[in-house]
Formats: sequence, structure tokens, C-alpha cells
Amino acid sequence: MFEIEVLTKKDFKNPQNEHILSDIASMGIASIAKVRYSPLYFICGKIRFSDVKIIASELLIDKITESYVIRRCSDLDVKDVNLKMNSSASIIEVWYKKGITDTVAESVVKAVKDLNINVEVKIKVGHKYYLYSKESQTTLNNNPIKSVIELIATKLLANTLVQDCKIR
Amino acid sequence: MKHSLVCKIVDILDLSDRELVKLSKINVLALSLIEMKTIQGYFAKLKRNPTDVELETIAQTWSEHCKHKTLTGIIEYIQENQEGKIKKIYNNLLKETIFKATVELNKKWCLSVFEDNAGIIEFDSKNGVAFKVETHNHPSALEPYGGSATGVGGVIRDILGVGLGAKPLANTDIFCFGEPNIKDSKVPEGMHHPKRIAKGVVSGVRDYGNKMGIPTVNGAVYFDNGYMSNPLVYCGTMGIISKNKIKKKVNHGDLILVVGGKTGRDGIHGATFSSVQIDKKSDLSVVQIGNPIVEKKVLDAMLKARDLNLYRAVTDCGAGGLSSAIGELGAKTGAIVYLDKVPLKYDGLRPWEIWISESQERMVFAVPKKNKKKLIEIFKKENVEAALIGEFTEDKKLTLIYNNDIVANIDMHFLHNGIPKLKRLAIYKEKKEKIQKSVDMNSLEILKALKVILADLNVCSKEWIIRQYDYEVQGQTIIKPLQGNNIEISGPGDAVVIFPYSIVKNTKKGIVLSNGLNPQYGKINTYKMAASAIEESLRNAVSVGADIEKIAILDNFCWGNPNKSEILGSLVRAANACYDISKAFEVPFISGKDSLHNEYSVDGRKYSIPPALLISAIGVIEDVANTVTMPLKDEGNKIFILGITRNELGGSVFSKVKGFKNGIVPSVYPNESRTIMKKIYQTINRNLIESCHDCSEGGLAIAVSEMAFASGKGVYVDIDTINIGVEESLTTAETLFSESNGRFIVEIKPKNVTEFKNLIKDCVFAEIGYVRDDRKVVFESRKNKIKVQEKSEVLFNSWSGTINW
Repeated sequence: MFEIEVLTKKDFKNPQNEHILSDIASMGIASIAKVRYSPLYFICGKIRFSDVKIIASELLIDKITESYVIRRCSDLDVKDVNLKMNSSASIIEVWYKKGITDTVAESVVKAVKDLNINVEVKIKVGHKYYLYSKESQTTLNNNPIKSVIELIATKLLANTLVQDCKIR
Repeated sequence: MKHSLVCKIVDILDLSDRELVKLSKINVLALSLIEMKTIQGYFAKLKRNPTDVELETIAQTWSEHCKHKTLTGIIEYIQENQEGKIKKIYNNLLKETIFKATVELNKKWCLSVFEDNAGIIEFDSKNGVAFKVETHNHPSALEPYGGSATGVGGVIRDILGVGLGAKPLANTDIFCFGEPNIKDSKVPEGMHHPKRIAKGVVSGVRDYGNKMGIPTVNGAVYFDNGYMSNPLVYCGTMGIISKNKIKKKVNHGDLILVVGGKTGRDGIHGATFSSVQIDKKSDLSVVQIGNPIVEKKVLDAMLKARDLNLYRAVTDCGAGGLSSAIGELGAKTGAIVYLDKVPLKYDGLRPWEIWISESQERMVFAVPKKNKKKLIEIFKKENVEAALIGEFTEDKKLTLIYNNDIVANIDMHFLHNGIPKLKRLAIYKEKKEKIQKSVDMNSLEILKALKVILADLNVCSKEWIIRQYDYEVQGQTIIKPLQGNNIEISGPGDAVVIFPYSIVKNTKKGIVLSNGLNPQYGKINTYKMAASAIEESLRNAVSVGADIEKIAILDNFCWGNPNKSEILGSLVRAANACYDISKAFEVPFISGKDSLHNEYSVDGRKYSIPPALLISAIGVIEDVANTVTMPLKDEGNKIFILGITRNELGGSVFSKVKGFKNGIVPSVYPNESRTIMKKIYQTINRNLIESCHDCSEGGLAIAVSEMAFASGKGVYVDIDTINIGVEESLTTAETLFSESNGRFIVEIKPKNVTEFKNLIKDCVFAEIGYVRDDRKVVFESRKNKIKVQEKSEVLFNSWSGTINW
């Protein structure tokens, strides 16, 4: 099992970051200074690392503007892996709940086959948001940071009816 | 009959009335006691209890969504006013109002009305155009992106499933949301913030429509906090179909083929859920996620198969899934279906889940046995899943088999005709509208009001939304939703025109699409709301060049809980208006859909939405060269108003921003308006009109300002010339902001003025001003010593700055 995280290269702008930041501001939360968004792809199956690299580089990223990180996962529970604490950011991961049709994942599975990687794989697509605050990490808008990040996660980034979110 | 262990036998024969109601509620069947008792009686005659598959099948077939049992049921209607009470019994409101108008108008160019998945009117001697508008409100409240996307996907499949399949040419979308700037604390617990709903819904429509390669061309957005927890999402699709592909017929012995998406647990109880109020406990199983790529492949493959005459009938899997699709196709024959042959997304689905699942992108075909190989081959080539799952029979029974066991065996007659007619009471208490106090404002106050109205959520630019849609794909959108002299500055077009030259070779004809909606009027008077919505849709179509003699309309009622007699009374009033105005304009209804029970619960209290009637209009234009847009064209051209400006500020945007409680809601005067519409068509076809725009939300001042800033030009309007054809005297503000129906602003070249005046001499009209070269918009009343003056660019900035998320 592998997880691929797609990253926007340093000198390029991901417009989605700006949109999310503006949405957070319109919620009345002024303390988030910066947002960084990364798509996540969780690949499950008897697949080689070299093939995962091909999937990441040839299928999932725009080589000019994006790079990737591949992580090996030993734990089946995707929500609990690789959510390492980042010293300056709060992290929110959003994934579809089990049983919800993930059409992007279906397209990736099809595209993997088109790359002549003939291994049965299951794919889940997720979203990772890094939120950098203006203030200290203990409070935001005079509220405990955890509750503010939770608010952003559940009111803006995830629809908890169909999606799970994990906050770190 | 042998029953399978995989399905549950539901013991209803011995249940009391209370237990029957409880059973219906627990299983989200949305059936009333009388309906449950009818089912109990049917199975008592069979001397057995139903299976869960049978109960779910009946609940789906008898759902409000599929059966429209309120509009087709018995309504005891009481109208109360100061003079007394009027009573009337409706045995079928739909047939006695909307459908009746169509029957009485008997237009030969209406090729299919109220009988298939969409209405069809004639395009030319060989082709028809089909149009359908659906709602997807409750799914969009819970999952805005998925809900709206599948709304679009569903209505596209309606067009694919009309006759033997029409080719989709355009989508429309109309939304009602809560106000996007409302504080989080005011949003009911468990509900999404209106802005989040709005953004999600727009993204869903964008992603589905754009990926299908169908332009999203026409729409409207209406904001009111009455829709905060229950947004309205109307999705429409228009398509073209050869006249010889309009009729479908199922023969016994035809095979049942299901193609497209696999079946999962998504969307279960969608049909019955639409009759249940939304609250924070609403279940995720009703949420559907769409896959436009699959639907696009289905579309491409099925149109190939259609042209090879490989199937006899087709319909889409919409609300109620296979149960609805096969139940309808086999209503007159019977059908046997092997549920274990239905391709599944994953294991573990119970038979009733397979049968009523609303998994997306599926179509059902009736296929003559001799064609099965060829047909399946076509789908295979397009990489579309296709599975034969049964056969149409001649026993007039619905038989469902799962792993060799019979899990359902019901008479088609009972399934489709066994539903008891609901009897409901409807009360309409007529409110006397009072005229507001005379509105006297000075020049500065009027200018301020003008800017506030331009920036109002229900008037302002929707460019942020429109530009996300691909409204150009297929290359046939010749009159577009945004119109102006450059990309940076554009105004709101009244209607769009599609020129289907790639399908109909050498044609000159075009198809006009427009809409009308104003729930604000409905808060005061639903009759006038419905009448105004019809007229607005017609005005919009006529403004770009449509012929009033060849326009058809569609109705989409979104109402609150019809079990409440006053809510149902307001619906009856609106339906009466539909009949009256349709007849008076000689414009037939060809299709419609109602979404009732738009009610949500907060802290145990139930709230119904403000009633909303969307009217969508479709017309055929003889020559697409004879169309006009709304931006002003040339300096020195003369400006005319056609129609009468009355003191009608009730429900207007001006009333809202000024906080007026009184005001007369605009009435419709079909005789006046129809004559004007005919004359506009004639004058456009003589190339006498340079630009044309109707007066609607915000009134005359808004319409003129929009025409000016869309072109980057100026305009002078002499207000003293406007008050013609009406006895009462209006103040300047009333004249500028009244929302009287039946009015158009047109621009005429000086050399054409005499001929124009001559042609419209039977109408009420006035020459009110001219196009200026200094980019200033000026409204002047010398009589009242008022001069409102502003740069068109400044007015544009007011209009365009509100929605920029």
C-alpha cells in the first residue's frame, strides 16, 4: 500500500489555496495566514514501488508545476497514516466514507491500466490541507486552535455525511 | 409462490393502523395510513404477507415524486375573501388546470406532451426538440456537489430516454439559496451554510455539464433565507430528436437490457425521501455521486444504437431506479427480472436494494431478441457495461427473481392503478393588497437606491457562476447568457439561442430557451407569482427574437408541505394562474414536475420554503439571423418603452431594500402583453430593433442601466414621457422601480423610427430617450426637478461586485 501526495512546486501558485483561504476568511476566521492543498491517492494492491513512481510521475502530476511524495503504508486504515505533525501547520485530511462512489478514483484505476500496469489495484482519493496560522498554535480568534480547525474541517472542507476527516 | 430467504417477509396483515404508520415511517416508505391499508388489503386478498422487495416497490411507485399524488388527488378547495367563500372540488388538479390548457389550445406543433420523459415540440418537418426540467432539492441540501451533479445527470438521461432518445444540446440551471452572507450562528444545526451549498451546487452543475460536453446556457439564482436549509436546484436539458424516433413501444418477449453504471447502495430511498422533511438526521444512503464520463459513453453508444433501430423502447433509471424504469416500461405487458444479473459495484446488496437503488448513469432498454448481440457489441465497444436482466412478459405481472427464488410477484395493474386517491383540503385566504405610501425621493436618494438594487443578490451579476460553465461547447450557442461589447464588461442576456446546425444540416432555425421565477411575489400572492413567472419567461424569449405563436412552457412547482391546507391552497391558486395565463397567451405547457414537501425541521419546529414556481420556455425561431441582444448599439439611436408602467411595487426589489410592507404585486395583462410580443417579433424580423431588454426585477431603471453598461455607452431617459396608458400618476421613484409586467425597452435607429412607430401603433409605447456618447446614464424628470446621473462604468461596478467568491 502506498500513498502519493501531490505537491505544488515552490515557485508556482495553486489557485485553490487562495480560494480556501478566502472561504475561511468569509467564515469570520481571520487568523489563518496561509493554506496549502495537496491531493492524496491511496493505492492498495500488490504493486511495485517502481510502478507507483510511474503512476505518480506520468499520471497524477503536472511535471512543470507539481512534484510528489510517495509513502509506504503498512496500516490499512488510511486515515491514521502519515499525518505527521508539522511544526507550523494544522493538517486536515478528507476522504470519502466507505461505500460512497469515488468517481475520480475509478478514473485513476482505469488510467493505471492504460499505463500498462496490469496489477489489480484499489484506489482512494483524498484531500490534504495544511493550515498555517498567524498567531500562536494555542489559540485562534481567542478560541482553542483545535476547535477552530475542527470548524474549518467540518463546515468548509468535508461534508461529514459522506466524508471522513482527520485533524492533526 | 416460493419465497427466498434473502428477502424478508414483512408482517403487515395483522398490523393495527398505528403499527402500519410506524412501519411506513421506520422504513422511509413515505406512505399514508390509507395507502398502507390499501396494501394490506391487496395482500390480504392474496392471503400472504408482502416481501420487503414488494413493499419497497409499491412505496417507490406510489411516491409523491413518481406519482404526483397531490396534484392528481382529490382537493377540496376553499377560497376565502371579504365577500365570502368559494368552494370547488378538484379530482385531478393537474388535469383540470395545466394539462387542460394544453388540451384546449391543441397546438399541432406539440408532438409529445405530459406522456414521456420530456415534452417535445416541432423544430422542422423532420425533427422535434425535447425539453425537461427536474429538481434535485433534498440531495443538494445534504451533499450540494453530488446532489446537483446528479440532478444534471438525471435530467440529461430524461432527454436520452424521451422517445427512442434525443441528442442533448443544452442544459439550464436555476437555483434558490439562503443568503450567502448570513452568520454561521443563524444556520440551523446540522445544515450547511448557504454559501457552501451555493458553491457546491455550482461546482456540481459545472463539473457534470462540462464533462458531458453539453453547454449550460440559461439559468437564474434567487436568494432568500426561506431556502437556507432547503435549497432548490432545478436542472433542465434540451435535445433534438428525429420525428420518427418519438414513439416507443414495448412488446412481450423483448429483452430487458440495463446499461451504464453499476448498481450500489447509493441513492436508496431517493424517491420516497423527496417526500420527507430534511433534518440533521437525514441519512447518507440517499446521497448519489455522479460519473459524467460513464454517462457520456452511454450517450454516445445509445445514439449509435438508436440510429440502427436496435431497440424498441428506452427509459432512464431515475428516482426509484430499476423499479421505476422497468415498472413503467412493463406497465402494460408485465416483466420478469433476475436481480442477481444486475451488475453490482460491490457484494452484499439485498434484493430490494438492487431493485430501488438510484445509482446513477443507468438506462433500461426493451430489445427485440434478434438485436441483442449487435446492441451489446455497440456498448462493449464504447466500454459501457451492458447486462440482460430479464424479459417483458404478457402476464401483466411484475416478477422479480433472486438466486432462483421469487422475491416479488405483484399485479402491474395494482402497482400502477391501485393507489388510493388522496383527499386533501386546500384553503386560500385572499389578502387584500394595499398600495404603499407615495414614494417621494430626491435625485441623490434615487441614485443610491439604483446602486443598492443593482448590487442586490437577486439582481446583481451572476458572472462568477456563469463563467464556470462551458456555455459554448458544441459551438451552437449564438445568443449567449452574458452579452456585451467586450469580455470584461457584459450584461445579463434575457434568453439564449441555440443554432443546431451540426445536427440539422442547412437549417436556419434556432431554439430559444428562457425562464421566469419570482418567489418574492408568491409570499404575497401565488396567483400573481405564477402569472408573472409565465410572462417573464415569455418576455425573455421574445426579447431575443422568439415568436410568441411558437413558444411552449414547462412548470416546476416547489412547494412546502401539501398536508397543510393553506400551503395547498396557495398551490391551487398558482395552478389556476397557470391555466388562465397559458390560455390567454395561447402558450401550452408541454412538461412539468412538482417537488412538494420542501420542509425542514429545526429544534422540532417545521418550516416550509416560500413557494416557488419556475417556468421554463422553449421556442423555435425561423431564422437565427433575426435575433437581437440587450446591449445598446449606437450613439444617437432612440430608446422606446413598450407597455404600461403601473404603480406595482409589491414584492419588488425596491420594496425589499426600502423595507416597505405594502405595495401591489404586478399583475399580468395578457391582451396588452401578447400584442406587444407579436409586434416585437415582427419588428425584429424587419431588422428595426437594434437591442431589446425586458423590464423585470428592479424595474425600468435597472433594465436601462444594464443595457448601457453592457455596451459601455451612455443613455438619456426622460422620465416624464414614461407614464403613458395609466390613469394614476406615479412618482419618479415609482416609475423607475415599479416591476410591472409586459414592458420592453428597445433601441431603434433614427431612420427606422417612423416605420417602427407605424408597426407598433396598436401597442402602448413611448419614445423615452436616446443613446449618448458620453458613457453617462441619465434619468431626468423636469416636471419633478429630478436628474439622476452616473457613469455607466460605476453602475456596472455596483452590479458586478456582489458575487465574486
